Amino acid sequence: MKTVFINCSPKKSFCASAYFLFLQRLFVGGQKVMEKLRTPADYDRILKELSDAQAVVFGIPLYVDSIPSHVLRFLEKMEAYCREKDLHFSVYCIANNGFIEGKQNEPLMQGFEHFCARAGLAWGGGVGIGGGVMLNVTRILFLVDVGLLVLNTLLSVVNTGDLFPKNAWISFGENAALLLYFNLGVLVYLARMGGSIRKGTFTGKRYTRILIPSFVFILFADIFFIIISLFEGGLFRGWLSKKAPTEAGRI
Amino acid sequence: MKVILYDLDRTYDELIETRCDRALAADGKYTPCQGCFGCWTKHPAECKMKDTLQQVCRVIGQANELVIVTKNLYGGYSADIKNVLDRSIGTSTPFSTYRGRQMHHTLRYGRHDLWKVIVYGEITEAEKETFRLLAQRNAVNDGFARSEVLFLEDLRALEGAL
Repeated sequence: MKTVFINCSPKKSFCASAYFLFLQRLFVGGQKVMEKLRTPADYDRILKELSDAQAVVFGIPLYVDSIPSHVLRFLEKMEAYCREKDLHFSVYCIANNGFIEGKQNEPLMQGFEHFCARAGLAWGGGVGIGGGVMLNVTRILFLVDVGLLVLNTLLSVVNTGDLFPKNAWISFGENAALLLYFNLGVLVYLARMGGSIRKGTFTGKRYTRILIPSFVFILFADIFFIIISLFEGGLFRGWLSKKAPTEAGRI
Repeated sequence: MKVILYDLDRTYDELIETRCDRALAADGKYTPCQGCFGCWTKHPAECKMKDTLQQVCRVIGQANELVIVTKNLYGGYSADIKNVLDRSIGTSTPFSTYRGRQMHHTLRYGRHDLWKVIVYGEITEAEKETFRLLAQRNAVNDGFARSEVLFLEDLRALEGAL
């Protein structure tokens, strides 16, 4: 069985879509092909991979409540290609957005369902994830946690000769458990969808989020953007002001 | 201010321009959003890409009535229209709030009145339902008081719909 995973984030690296596709691959067997969709230069390479695929999984960010424009342009090409080649594989979707409610991905999911109907493909359903950016950050926090454990272990070996410092392991375990909890909804639904992908069946539309209260999420999101805007300078360039257009004429 | 964003060919320019304060022709001659958030964090209300959409959020942000004329594509906007909308998130700020019982960004230009979508091209009943949901979501997201979606079977009815 061949499954093609298409990362639809326009970002070159460290995108939430790549993280969720990584997790999804853990629950899918057989041949797994990873593709990145950023520009029209990617179209032919990706379309070639589809000809003998049994399932295609899109990992996609939500842009203005629906499918990003660069993905729409690809879907139009893919629709024509699948019709021409008479392809009928199953299509699954992992949508993520920066807001906390996974349900905000609903119009995007419906868009994929309509795409499948027009392309003659089997709509397999998907998972809509809220708090995608913050969940993506948890993988960095986990690596930091691992780094601290290694550092504490080295210090322990040097100072006392103890290869398993108890406190360092307890701290690592507590932090890892907390990060796992944040991701629990995502892991459960991706595991379920993995089963459907393997069997080629419909998984339904499931919505989940990072498992923290929304007011806490909003607080952290605001702090995140203040810090980023401070470093990038936007904070000092009319950060919240109502700027008027400076260019005359029409677009 | 009434703004019309449209993906029709240039033969409609004159009609559109007489019906609004600002016409935005979505001709596809621009690049897609890169998801960098620079229009919030680095150069507010301006895109880093120096094409015709660099300041489009400042025009859409000032619209009290936004009318979008679009071809149907999977129950949503055409790629050319969606490209413009994707590049216009500078209408909001990076700060978050609750609106319509869900998380959204605060509005750089305050609240607006009408988000109206005029859809042409072949469309199924299921796609119509999705379009209504999408317009409603867009209106809440961008701080418009109401949304309206019209489906045209024939573009000759466009003049009356504007």
